[in-house]
Amino acid sequence: MPERTNYWGIPHTWGEPETFVYIIMFLSAAIMLFRFYKRASLWWQIGRPEARWDKIPQRLWLVVKYAIVQTRSLRQRYPGIMHAAIAWSFFVFFLGTALATVHDHFFEFLHGNILIVYKFTLDIFTIIFLIGAGMAIYRRYQEKPEKLTYDEGFTRTLVLITVIVLTGLFTESLRLAAERSGISAWSPAGHLLAQLWISTGATEKALTNWHLGAWIIHLLTVAFTLITLPVSTLLHALTAPLNIFFSKLDRPIGALAPTATTEDDEPIFASKLSDLTWKQLLDADACTECGRCQDACPAFNAGTPLSPKQLMLSLRESFVHNGTKPVLTGEAIPEDVLWACTTCGACVQECPVLVEHIDTIVDLRRYLVIEGMVDAELQTALMNLGRYGNSFGKSERMRARWSKGMEPKIKNANKEAVEYLWFVGDYASYSPTLTEITKQTAEVFQKVGLDFGIMYKGENHAGNDVRRVGEEGLFEMLAEKNMKAMSKADYQAIITTDPHSYNTLKNEYPANGGQPVLHYTELLDQLIASGALRFSKKLDYKVTYHDPCYLGRYNGVYDAPRRIIEATGCEIVEMPRNRDCALCCGAGGGRIWMEEGEIEERPSESRIREAVELGGVTDFIVACPKDVTMYRDAVKTVGAEEKIIVKDLIELVYEAL
Amino acid sequence: MPNIVALVKMVPDLVEELEINDSGTGLDRDWLRVIINEFDNHAVEQAIIIKERDGGEVTVIAPEAEGVEDMLFTTAAKGADRMVKLSHDDFEEGVNNHALARAFAEKAKEYQPDLILTGVQANDDLDGPVGPLVAEYLGMPYLGYICGVKIEDGKALVCKEYPGGLTAQMEVSLPAVLGIQAGEEPPRYVAISKVRQMMKTAEIDEHETDELDPDGGIAVNRMYLPEDAGRAEMIEGDEDEIAAKLIEIFKEVGAL
Ligand code: SF4
Ligand code: SF4
Repeated sequence: MPERTNYWGIPHTWGEPETFVYIIMFLSAAIMLFRFYKRASLWWQIGRPEARWDKIPQRLWLVVKYAIVQTRSLRQRYPGIMHAAIAWSFFVFFLGTALATVHDHFFEFLHGNILIVYKFTLDIFTIIFLIGAGMAIYRRYQEKPEKLTYDEGFTRTLVLITVIVLTGLFTESLRLAAERSGISAWSPAGHLLAQLWISTGATEKALTNWHLGAWIIHLLTVAFTLITLPVSTLLHALTAPLNIFFSKLDRPIGALAPTATTEDDEPIFASKLSDLTWKQLLDADACTECGRCQDACPAFNAGTPLSPKQLMLSLRESFVHNGTKPVLTGEAIPEDVLWACTTCGACVQECPVLVEHIDTIVDLRRYLVIEGMVDAELQTALMNLGRYGNSFGKSERMRARWSKGMEPKIKNANKEAVEYLWFVGDYASYSPTLTEITKQTAEVFQKVGLDFGIMYKGENHAGNDVRRVGEEGLFEMLAEKNMKAMSKADYQAIITTDPHSYNTLKNEYPANGGQPVLHYTELLDQLIASGALRFSKKLDYKVTYHDPCYLGRYNGVYDAPRRIIEATGCEIVEMPRNRDCALCCGAGGGRIWMEEGEIEERPSESRIREAVELGGVTDFIVACPKDVTMYRDAVKTVGAEEKIIVKDLIELVYEAL
Repeated sequence: MPNIVALVKMVPDLVEELEINDSGTGLDRDWLRVIINEFDNHAVEQAIIIKERDGGEVTVIAPEAEGVEDMLFTTAAKGADRMVKLSHDDFEEGVNNHALARAFAEKAKEYQPDLILTGVQANDDLDGPVGPLVAEYLGMPYLGYICGVKIEDGKALVCKEYPGGLTAQMEVSLPAVLGIQAGEEPPRYVAISKVRQMMKTAEIDEHETDELDPDGGIAVNRMYLPEDAGRAEMIEGDEDEIAAKLIEIFKEVGAL
């Protein structure tokens, strides 16, 4: 029966080899932990406290999902497999070493078939690792995607881990070569390599000596890697699981936290490192520099100075200097970087280690707003919102002007009970180019016999983007006004036209009697399912659908709009970037109110080109009033008027009714 | 360190349609919505810029009107030190600039100002702007169309705008009244939370104006919306033709 030989071929000249191994490993681990502690203590020495210790089982589950199984990382095939091959192999090697220790000291079980499975598994993962490392080498030195960081630290790490695995493999194969054991074929990689050693004709003595050499290099490389881990790019092996463990569980991605306050209830407007929480600093330290966020970022791709990856690295850069570069806004992180963000959520969605970029961006914007450092256009919009409750600077009495002349007159939900309170939103209410679409929405509601009403001048801008601009006080004021108006209305559910209003009403407003908030696409989808909405015409357009960020990524509504489009008879052709990978139109986070600044290509233009390239798609369907505005402009600027028309989903419904 | 007083009034907000009152002599104030006079807003900004640069104190004085408290708290959030609201039963009805300027002058005097800043004009100035009137009542020099102010050795160095894109640098001895066309910087944004904070902590001094004396102002006989006269004639052609045609018309009506 095969037996495991411990420390095969290691001379006992200076005593038990085991003792040395344990001493070296123990010391290296101690040094690593000490250095890591020094680094980590910066987080809470500089950062503010923040409670993230609740819901431990849920947090542990996240660690399993994102740090061990690495589902996020696997969203992208090549780098996902590459990383999993490397990381999972190391998990297996650790486990193997741990099991060997158990076997040696506590409970002998590694013999017979168990030993064969053990050896086979370790050997297979050696091969898997080598494939992963090969992929990494190809990617880093041949393919060279722009999003990666080309720093020698990454090369060093790759060399170190490869040396560890190769010397491990050499040790094993040299032992197999010297032993000529009968079970060596169960270690296929070791067995193959052993044949090579044997073919050199080296004596058993020589092989044993080479084995000793490989073993020592293996041991020392492991020790060196451990010792340098906290200052190397492998730091993420510790920080990433921590960041995942401490990720936010108290609120959905669609809810921002209010401005933090000090113990004396003074608001904290974050401009320096010490205004951020330890978790926000940990975010920066957990960043693996994979660049996925940057790749997905509409602001970066438009050529603005914002890269969410660089944002994290700038943050890290400032605090590893132990607070000697404490000022963030305007210094470590320039203002235009902060203003470029559309809060589309793509970065947060892509980040394999659950970095929360948007929370930090909004925190820093809050400081800029409180200091009045906003551009002229944004200032006008904010002042209009403060004074008139809409960004258009029009009287609140004009809010429902679009409905003028409609028969029957739309109910005033503040005066009579309705089943559905329709929160129309600013763009749908005031933008002259959208009047027709808003009317069609109302007509569709009327035709399906919906009992609905609007709040007329009682409605204010919902504040979603006001909050994301960083004007928290104004957001609170608008929310209070809307809450007051809504509390006077009698309704069963809220429907919104605008995904932005939808998001804030659903996720950020205090639950108002618990009535559900529905986007109109969700409602129509329900009505189709229940048979209340039936189409008389069958449209046969070939269309593509653009997922609005605040409907899709933020609230997971992907299927309802698609089902409606299909119910009208249209055929949907998906753009390459669809569903949670959809590209932002560039209007969110208050960008629609700001000066555009220098850009290379507007996200909306890139999106229209993407749709046109599909070939044969005649209609570009959206489900957000801002999208209609953004994309109709983009169709003109890219000169695609002949090829594609932008339509709101409701226009299809209206046509097919 | 200069003592600065900014005089501010609320004027009709043009987002709402204006209506004429029943007697046809003024705006229907029941329907009127008011907003800070944009030029006065620049005057406040300029006052605060001076304070930030040279120190001193800024007092903002405004007559009672709907929303005037919010407006005053906003100026405090920007950095004004003192807010004064003038009250009198007639303010709600609307008063002419002569009466308002007298009330402003009476109150401003108390602060022994080195500099009085106000908007160079307003959309409801029927009897001339407020600035020169205040200057007259206080016996101070007045300069209008100002777009920048620096205090140096007890004098104000100002930049004054002229039509045709000309600007002049001028010196005026203090105390003086300046009619502000534009502040050195456009009025800054104040976050709502700052204004709300001021509402909790700052206080507005309320001053009862004894008498409103409109003497010297004008009487409005009739106020009306522009009437469609249908008399416009579009002159077409190139520059020379248009000029020739114009001369012809001028001669016809006896202007040349
Ligand atoms: S939210 Fe969108 S725009 Fe903002 S940094 Fe992330 S990816 Fe870029
Ligand atoms: S923040 Fe996340 S997605 Fe972006 S580079 Fe870092 S680890 Fe990658």
